[in-house]
Amino acid sequence: MKDAMLDTPAIELRGIRKTFKLSEERNAKTVLALDGIDLSFRKGEFTTIIGPSGCGKTTLLRIIASLETADEGDVLVDGDIVTEPGIRRAMVFQNFGLFPWKTVIDNVMFPLKLRNFPEEEARSKAIKQIKQVGLEKFSDAHPHQLSGGMQQRVGLARALATGADILLMDEPFGAIDAQTRELMQEEMMRICEEEKKTVIFITHDLDEAVMLADRVLLMSRGPGKVRELIDVDLPRPRFEYDVRAHKAFAEVRGHLWHELRNDLIEQSAEGKS
Amino acid sequence: MKTRSNREIRRDQIVGVLIFLTIWEITARFLDNKLVLPSVSQIMAAFWDLLISGELILALSESIWLLVVGLFISTVIGFILGALVARSRTAYWMLNPYFSALFATPTIALVPLVLVWFGFGFPGRVIVVVLAAVVPIMFSVASGLRDDPKDLVDVARSFGVKGELALLFRVRVRAALPVLLAGLRLAAGRGVVGMAVAETYLRLGGIGGLIKSYGSLFQTDYVFASILPLSLLGITIVSLIGRLERRFHWS
Repeated sequence: MKDAMLDTPAIELRGIRKTFKLSEERNAKTVLALDGIDLSFRKGEFTTIIGPSGCGKTTLLRIIASLETADEGDVLVDGDIVTEPGIRRAMVFQNFGLFPWKTVIDNVMFPLKLRNFPEEEARSKAIKQIKQVGLEKFSDAHPHQLSGGMQQRVGLARALATGADILLMDEPFGAIDAQTRELMQEEMMRICEEEKKTVIFITHDLDEAVMLADRVLLMSRGPGKVRELIDVDLPRPRFEYDVRAHKAFAEVRGHLWHELRNDLIEQSAEGKS
Repeated sequence: MKTRSNREIRRDQIVGVLIFLTIWEITARFLDNKLVLPSVSQIMAAFWDLLISGELILALSESIWLLVVGLFISTVIGFILGALVARSRTAYWMLNPYFSALFATPTIALVPLVLVWFGFGFPGRVIVVVLAAVVPIMFSVASGLRDDPKDLVDVARSFGVKGELALLFRVRVRAALPVLLAGLRLAAGRGVVGMAVAETYLRLGGIGGLIKSYGSLFQTDYVFASILPLSLLGITIVSLIGRLERRFHWS
């Protein structure tokens, strides 16, 4: 019984299928965005998703977050079908998604207050997370006063403060300059070392995909499908050494690039982007 | 030009007022005609008289009450119609021409109709204020809610905000608040004009009534003494809303 509990994946996707209408009209053409996705994500596992643009990776993440509903198939959290956003899953957004009218601390407290945490408890949880991402001096600042990297730290603090054990991250460092991104990646490694989170992390960046992941999910497009799942066998903690210099890193990265490259060339041969 | 500190601005304003009042006083004494141009000191005496007799306080409270009720009703109606127009293209094309027409029509032109339909009592006066003030509110709500902050709505939903109404008020209205308050400020200015029109063209009352009745008695000093609080009322309301705007603006 206990083993069965341990084996229950944090998230399971069963036969996810999603189509989109191309316009608002009633008889508009539809495109198949995701076709029969079956996947499971183990507890504490870090999965990065990579694939050409238009492969439906963001749609997949939004379906896992219950921000969108699939036409067919189910999303299970800990073995239970979910249809609405829940407190176990927290999302980190590409454009940070901070409320511009709220201060840093109010942004971080927002999900906690929604879940009816008492003011004092919400505040102390928020302060703790803001400290952890090193922004305690900016608690009362507004988002527009912060750099992109700092804003995403707030986004991360907000997700962590909810206490969610599943983090859904949609290209969280995509809009951040290269050097800050390196720091954020290190921080991500550290956080995952300290508190075992189940993370699903979309990225365009091959290095990032390999560096952070226990497992890389490579998707292909037209319609979006799982092309390959690759285990990344790099020792942890990874912030303690130069991951890029490791042999396994080069192997996985090389393989991923080979596959992605073929997909991209096929795409341009079809004459659409 | 160099940027000015608040203190320098205040100093400039005070000096400006003093120069203006001095020129006024000199001109008035030179003309020596109380009917055409009473002197500053005569106006002040009239103002003091109105204040002591309680006439001014009474009129002012009547006017403020009319303005508050009128602006409140304008806000409710303007918000509902504005939200409708922002969310539905059909409603937009059906209603927009009427609102544009109402915006362009001087409120005073509608007074005879209001008189016939609603009488010259309080309801009629409120209607005049609403006719003057509702359109800017409706326009600002419509334009503020039209740019949908889709990303932020997603954020709110992902952290557990449920239902269209909750999303409307917690995210969409909040994001549009600077635009909505700018509309309210414009509406308040027009509302003051509507109020004065209602008070002078329907049954006399409030500050508008005071101005009109002293005008027909040719007591020009008392007319000026009544115009003064009317202007102050307008300035106060508009600057209060301006202060709110700064409070809720984030950049």
